[in-house]
Parts: sequence; C-alpha cells; structure tokens
Amino acid sequence: MSLVEISNLNAWYGDKHVLKNINLEIPRNIIFAIMGPSGCGKSTLLRAMNRLLELNPNAKVSGQVKIDGIDVYSDKIDITWVRRQFGMVFQIPNPFPHLSIYDNVAIGPRMNGLVKNKSELDQLVKWALEKAYLWDEVKNDLKKPASMLSGGQQQRLCIARALALKPKIILMDEPTANLDPVAASKIEELMLELKEDYTIVIVTHNPQQAARVSDYVAFLYMGELIEVGETSQVFTRPVHKLTERYVVGKIG
Amino acid sequence: MKSGKIFQISLILFIVTTLTIVVGIVISLINSSYPIFLRHGFGFISRSVWNPIEEDYGILPPLLGTLITSAIAISIATPLAISLAIFASEIIPSRLRSFVNNVSDLMASLPSVIYGLWGLYVLAPILHKYVMLPLHNYLGFIPLFSVKPTPTNLFTAGVLLSIMIIPFASSIIREAYTAIPYNLKEAAYSLGMTRWEVVKTMLGYIRSAIFAGVFLALGRAMGETMAVAMVVGNIMNIPKSIFDMGYTISSLIANQFPNAEAYKYMVPALYGGALILFTVGLIINLIGLHLVRRVMVKS
Ligand SMILES: Nc1ncnc2c1ncn2[C@@H]1O[C@H](COP(=O)(O)OP(=O)(O)O)[C@@H](O)[C@H]1O
Ligand SMILES: [Mg+2]
Repeated sequence: MSLVEISNLNAWYGDKHVLKNINLEIPRNIIFAIMGPSGCGKSTLLRAMNRLLELNPNAKVSGQVKIDGIDVYSDKIDITWVRRQFGMVFQIPNPFPHLSIYDNVAIGPRMNGLVKNKSELDQLVKWALEKAYLWDEVKNDLKKPASMLSGGQQQRLCIARALALKPKIILMDEPTANLDPVAASKIEELMLELKEDYTIVIVTHNPQQAARVSDYVAFLYMGELIEVGETSQVFTRPVHKLTERYVVGKIG
Repeated sequence: MKSGKIFQISLILFIVTTLTIVVGIVISLINSSYPIFLRHGFGFISRSVWNPIEEDYGILPPLLGTLITSAIAISIATPLAISLAIFASEIIPSRLRSFVNNVSDLMASLPSVIYGLWGLYVLAPILHKYVMLPLHNYLGFIPLFSVKPTPTNLFTAGVLLSIMIIPFASSIIREAYTAIPYNLKEAAYSLGMTRWEVVKTMLGYIRSAIFAGVFLALGRAMGETMAVAMVVGNIMNIPKSIFDMGYTISSLIANQFPNAEAYKYMVPALYGGALILFTVGLIINLIGLHLVRRVMVKS
C-alpha cells in the first residue's frame, strides 16, 4: 500500500475549479516532486492533503485523500491528528518570530502533549535540530529569537519544527524559492538525507530542481495531472507532449 | 521645488509650535503650582486634607483614588479587550465583523458625559444591587470589600472606566491581530494546533501591541474626568476599601475649580494636582514604553 493515496480529488476557490479529478499515489521513503508552472494548483494540492485548505472559507474540496489507508476527510477523524501526520514547510520561511529557536521546535510537541517532561522535550528538540542540520549552528543560541537566523537557517528551523511532531510525511511547498543558491542547495542535500527515514513531497515550479532531487515526479498543468512516473523516466521519455515541452523549459 | 520648500518650512513651524505649547504647559504647571509646594512641601502629596478656610491642602486621597480606579479599570478591561478583539477577528462571521467593529469604534468615541449619565443612573444601581452588596455581604471580611457600599464609589468609577476604555484598547489589539501574516497562522495550524491554541500562539506574537494598547488605555483612564466625577462619590477621604466613595485628581479639579479663585492657595493646589497627574501619567507611559521595548528585544 502506498503511503498516500489520492483519488478523484477536486478543489475550488469559489467557482474557480483549480484541481481537476486528481488521482495519485505516493510511495514510501522517496522524494516525490510535484512540478508545474505557477498557478497550476501545486500549493492547493498540498493543502488539500493536510486539510490546511479549509482555513480558506472560499475553498471547497471533494474526493479522497488516504494516509496509511485512513481517509483524512472522514467525518470521524480528528483534524489535528491529520495535520500532525503531515509535516509542512512553506514557501516563505515562517518560524514564529516571537519565540526562541528552542520554542519554535518545542511548541508542536508541547501543545500536542507528545512529551512527558522537560528532559524528554530537550532531547526531542535536539534530535529535530540535528536532523535538520541546524544543531551545530544554533546549539549555543537556543534561547535567542528565531528571527535572528538567516533565511536558510530559518527554513531549516521550520523543517526541524515539522520533524519534531514525528510526521509520516513532509510536504514542502517550494522550500527554496526564497533562498539564495547556497542555502537552497543545503536544503536539497538535507532532503536527500531525510529520505532515509521519511517520505517527502516537494512542490516546485522549477523542473531542474525536480530532476535533481526527486525519485518520482508528477506534472501538474492548469489543475490537471498530466503525467506521473519515475523521475528518470519522465525526464528522458515523457509520454505527454505537454510534459516534454515543460521539462525543456518551453512552458512556465 | 518651491512648494517643497514651503512644505518644509510649514512643517518646521508646526513642530516648533507644538513643542512650544507642550513646554509652555509644563512651565505653567510648575510655575502655578510651586506656591503650594513651598507652603506644604511633601505634605501636599502625603496628607489628606482639603480645608480652604485654613488654606490647608493635601491630595493623597485623590491620588490614591486615581491609582485605584485606574487599576480596577485596567484589570477588568485587559482580559475583556483581548477577548473582544479575538471575538471580532476570529469568531463572528465576516459579514457581521465590520458591524461589530463599527459599534466598538463608535463606543470609543462617545462623549464621556454620556458614559457618566449612564453610569450614574443605570450602571451604578445595577452594580450596587447585583455585585457590590453580594460581595460585601459574603466576602466583607476581605478588607477590599469591607465597607458597606453606596451606589457611587471607587469601584463603580473603575468599572465605568473599564467600559470606556475597552473599545479603545480592543481596537489596537484587533488591528494587530488582523495584521498577523496568514503565513504564521498556517504554520500554527499545520502543527496540529486547535483553534484556541493558534489564538494563544498568535496573542504571543502580538504581545507588544497588547502591552501598548493596555498602557495607552491606562493613560486614558487616569486622565478621564467627567464620567468619573459623576460616579466616584467626590469625598475627600483615604479609601479603606474599593467600596469607599472617593475622589480622583481630575474629578477633584473639575469639582473645585469654580470656587478656587476665592482662595489664595486653592488654584496652586489644583495646579499641583495637575502636575502630579502629569508626572504619574509620564511615569506610566515610560514604564509602558520600557515594557514594550523589553518584549521586543526578548522576541
Ligand atoms: N486564496 C485563493 N483564493 C482564490 N484563488 C486562489 C487562492 N489561492 C490560489 N488561487 C488560485 O488557484 C490557482 C492555483 O493556485 P496555487 O495552488 O497557489 O498554484 P501554485 O502553487 O501552483 O502556484 C491559481 O489560479 C490561483 O490564482
Ligand atoms: Mg504555490
């Protein structure tokens, strides 16, 4: 069974139909890229998975998203549980600027009651920061505000924040779009490392990035899923004409 | 080029004029009040007397009254202003939002004599019957509630003040709350927080605005005159309980200025009160600014 199974997923903002009957399976322990020109619905697709989309009162969703076989849109499900299964990293690094580096990582486990005491929490925070390749840079500044970090460090802090909840999958919405090339390549390295233990979905409008980091890739165009497959396959022998034009940079 | 110059000059003129007026007020406060300080020294602040016949003045009671009513007002207003701001920006449907906000802004701009009338004839009897008497009857052993209440007293003034400053404090908090980047709320929800946990986290994010709102409101409460004068009791004694009748510095000035010129030292005494009010207000504002700054540095 794939980790995530999406079937007949549709999404609207008001009357605007932005995701059109998406069917998609995401296997475990791989990096899965969703690529497509901006405005094609990539962010919406991510937010439909962890039900962040319904924060927008105009958004409507139909269809099914299952994680480990559990339908996240089922009536009986606890929405906070759903969101905890999906760690999320956003396009603009968004640590809580008023909280310390430590508290940014600790706030999730604390609020969800995932730890019993302070030393357990300390360990979890350290573990998450190490996983996010940030520990060595911040271990002496844990009490300092997150806002003092550079953009790339802030984004890695956000990754640590997501990891601390021990999610089943990490969703990254153009995580490097607002970073300089050095910081961006650090994040890409980190993703390759995290793949050992996690499944990562990365949204990108940049086909080169998808080619560099992903094992599987889906091409989304104007709300429709055009093509899905192993990355090497899709980039060397695309089935669909649109995909071919996109990967050589003729669309987007 | 030329109009830019004119703009610059008029701007400078405006700033100079404003500064001159402020400095002028401070000078005249000091200048007109120093006779009372020469006469009584620190006793003007530390004693409780208002005896025009003997020209003996000590304004400890109104000073305490100002502090007590402001403290009551701020302790009631702070939680309610925060709640109102959250209610207006998170809970009510967006169709009703601007209506509620307009009502709140309208309340903030009502003339204070209207609050005074309403406080005297509506609020005071209700508070007296349903809050003060029960508190006194059941908890009268606590010094705070020990005095048998009359409808107008320090507590009534504090509650009325809180009602007057809630819309103002709340609108500052609301502005800050609605300006929170959507980005941050998404981050909070993505961590599996409940709506209430998100609100709590976001209140932390805007805490300096909350401090600012509360302290600016406190400044207003301390200076508020008309409404307080109508419900505070206007009696010159050292309060033993919040149910005592009392004075505030501004209500003292409002009540006493009509006959002040008949006496040699009453005008300086009233100016002295004004100078003290000004100084306390200044200190409150400085503390407020300091708090805001410390919060900002910490975050
Ligand atoms: N909050 C919103 N309200 C209305 N329309 C939106 C909103 N967010 C996105 N859209 C529209 O939905 C479509 C898909 O957007 P999005 O998922 O953000 O695309 P992408 O992430 O691929 O750039 C776009 O046409 C966009 O204009
Ligand atoms: Mg997007």
